[in-house]
Amino acid sequence: MSAAFERGTNGDLSRRSLLGLAGGMACALAADRAHAQPGTIRFGLTPVFLTNDLELLDAFRAYLESETGYQVELITRRTYQEVTALLVSGQLDAAWICGYPFVRYRNELELVAVPQWHGKPLYQSYLIVSEEREASSLADLQDDIHAFSDPDSNSGYLVTRALLFEKGLNPDYFFRRTIYTYGHRNVIRAVASGLAQSGSVDGYVWEVMRDIEPELVAGTRPLRKSEWLGFPPVATNKSLAGSDRIAALSGALLTIPEKEQGRRVLEMLKLTGFTSSGPEIFDGIASKVAMLRGVL
Amino acid sequence: MNPAVHFRRLPSAIRVPVLVVVLMVIISAVISERVLDQLSKTQATYLQGLASAYLDGLVASVTPSVLREDSWEIFDSIERLRPTTDDILPSETVVTDRNDIVLASSNPRTRETLRPLDAAFSGKFAGPGVSIDPETRSGYVRRAIIYQNMHVGSIYAVFDVTSLLKERRRILATLLATNSLVTALLGFVGFMTVRRMIRPMQVLETHLVEAAGGSATLIGEQEFPSADGEAASVYRAYNALVNSETERQKLSRQLAEEEKLASLGRLASGMAHEINNPLGGLMNAVDTLRRHGENRNVREKSIELIQRGLLGIREVVEAALATYRPDRLSRPVEGSDFSDLKLLVRPELRRRQQALDFRMPGELPARPEWPAGPIRQAVLNLLLNAVAASPEGGRIGYTITVTDRHLQITVTDEGEGMPEAARRILEQGTSADPAEGEGLGLWIVREIANDLDARVRVSAGARRGTEVQLTLPCRTNEVSHAA
Repeated sequence: MSAAFERGTNGDLSRRSLLGLAGGMACALAADRAHAQPGTIRFGLTPVFLTNDLELLDAFRAYLESETGYQVELITRRTYQEVTALLVSGQLDAAWICGYPFVRYRNELELVAVPQWHGKPLYQSYLIVSEEREASSLADLQDDIHAFSDPDSNSGYLVTRALLFEKGLNPDYFFRRTIYTYGHRNVIRAVASGLAQSGSVDGYVWEVMRDIEPELVAGTRPLRKSEWLGFPPVATNKSLAGSDRIAALSGALLTIPEKEQGRRVLEMLKLTGFTSSGPEIFDGIASKVAMLRGVL
Repeated sequence: MNPAVHFRRLPSAIRVPVLVVVLMVIISAVISERVLDQLSKTQATYLQGLASAYLDGLVASVTPSVLREDSWEIFDSIERLRPTTDDILPSETVVTDRNDIVLASSNPRTRETLRPLDAAFSGKFAGPGVSIDPETRSGYVRRAIIYQNMHVGSIYAVFDVTSLLKERRRILATLLATNSLVTALLGFVGFMTVRRMIRPMQVLETHLVEAAGGSATLIGEQEFPSADGEAASVYRAYNALVNSETERQKLSRQLAEEEKLASLGRLASGMAHEINNPLGGLMNAVDTLRRHGENRNVREKSIELIQRGLLGIREVVEAALATYRPDRLSRPVEGSDFSDLKLLVRPELRRRQQALDFRMPGELPARPEWPAGPIRQAVLNLLLNAVAASPEGGRIGYTITVTDRHLQITVTDEGEGMPEAARRILEQGTSADPAEGEGLGLWIVREIANDLDARVRVSAGARRGTEVQLTLPCRTNEVSHAA
């Protein structure tokens, strides 16, 4: 895991994450203000999401601030692990994380709201290959360079890992090399450019990007779509679950489709709303985690 | 033929411009070569600078990723650091590990990740600097990635140098166009200048050729160049030459005429003397007749005397007529023509108390025919010349020889030998002019000899003096023309 931090220190020049830089600055500012201003909600975002849109982040924060009455700090990190660690350690009030870390830290975390895509709090993981490739099943991907999104991502790692495990395969041997790109968009870029021959990616991100960056996504095609799994949720530290801030945040998220400003945010996120589902929607992910227990 | 010889034979109006053009082409080639060489160096430096800046940034960015062999990060760096604003852009960038295994490249489809780098590709990266391949229009540069003094990998960057090569071609085209224009212009100016320079020479040449043909003409005012002092002075000198030549010819003709008249005068006085001699006898005879005419003996004797005297006068008159009215003598020459001439020189002989040895063995053949007039004139002149050359009381030889092939007239004198100038006139023909009236008679001989295709030979006489031999070939068919 130290490797992840190392990447964080020297990989932050990414053009895509001017955002990362912005987030880092926001974080630095937040660190100064967090305790001085108890009326601030520190909201973490993972790269699961279309975090490379500053306009979206501005609109989202503005909506949350106007709805909750709190100041909102949006905090982004390069890896899932960093955000999860901040959340679990209580340095964030809430964070939009992935289903896999939520399951892993189930005892420390509580759901705030689950986004709805096409009206359901569910999404799929896609196994993608380049558009012109004639592969038809997972077996055809043997000896590929395979791009994962993040070792803590459900759709960008766990699903494929579990699939291989079910077939008695180990990704370290089945693939010639696996690489982590720390972003679903990067997985698509890696596969589209040919750097990797196949990749594991968030189906929601792939579908949404098909509208936003059609020429990039057109270079790839889904080879296999997973079963429907729980959408990456907004979670909070269990110790903060009953706080006013979380209640306000939860309310703002659940009522987001009712507000003009909120609908604009949803439009940008290509989501339909948020729901207060129970943790049972993550059972599918939980069973994969259980299956791989002792292996990961 | 040797091309140099060929070239030297070309007219100056071609040669000079050709030399100018050749010189200009050489100069252009040298200048173009220097300019392009300098341009190449400048471009190489420029490209090296660009490449270095690019590679420096890339090395700094990817070194940690190379150490971790993190293909994605390297790929992401290559994409992020790809310059977009320069006119020379990297068309391909490949990052390899220390064993030249591709970690990532800007185009993973051609340089597959985690495969050994194509040797043909890496072979293009020769030397430490940028090597340019004009065929692929690319510049190739390699940079080693050094970490803690260890070689951990390499970056291969290929730059699209189309714009540099285009610039090179454009400059070459500009150079070629400019140089061609200047060369053509200089060639043209050279041609015009030389033509202008040699035009007076050509005019002069035309006139000289005409003069050589025998009809020298003055260079007209309109042919004089307006500003060219040198050519004008050459023209003036030529015109002065033509003028003096014309003058000289006129003078020569005049002198010849005068000499003719003078000799005629001498002959006339001689003839008068010849006529006067018998006249005394005739007058005596007439007187005798008047006084003693009744005496039959005396009368017949006187009449005989008168007849002899009149016959002598008639001979002299006829000989003179035959010589000085040659138009009446277009008949062929006869033996009597030669003996006639004795009468014409007799007064001079007598004056100088000289003797003439006339020998004519044999008869003249009926054919071929030689015109009588010119031959009589020529022989008379030779005789008179011999008389003038010989001292008083000397002997003049006068021999006519006839063979199958020619008629030969030999005149000898006892003089001091013929002067060189006179000898040249006789032997070399009309090109040598009569000098100051001296030897005009001989000059006329030469003219006649030319007309008759005759040969004149001058040699020292047997004992002393000079022997002049006029030899006429037997050429029947030309007789009428020569006459």
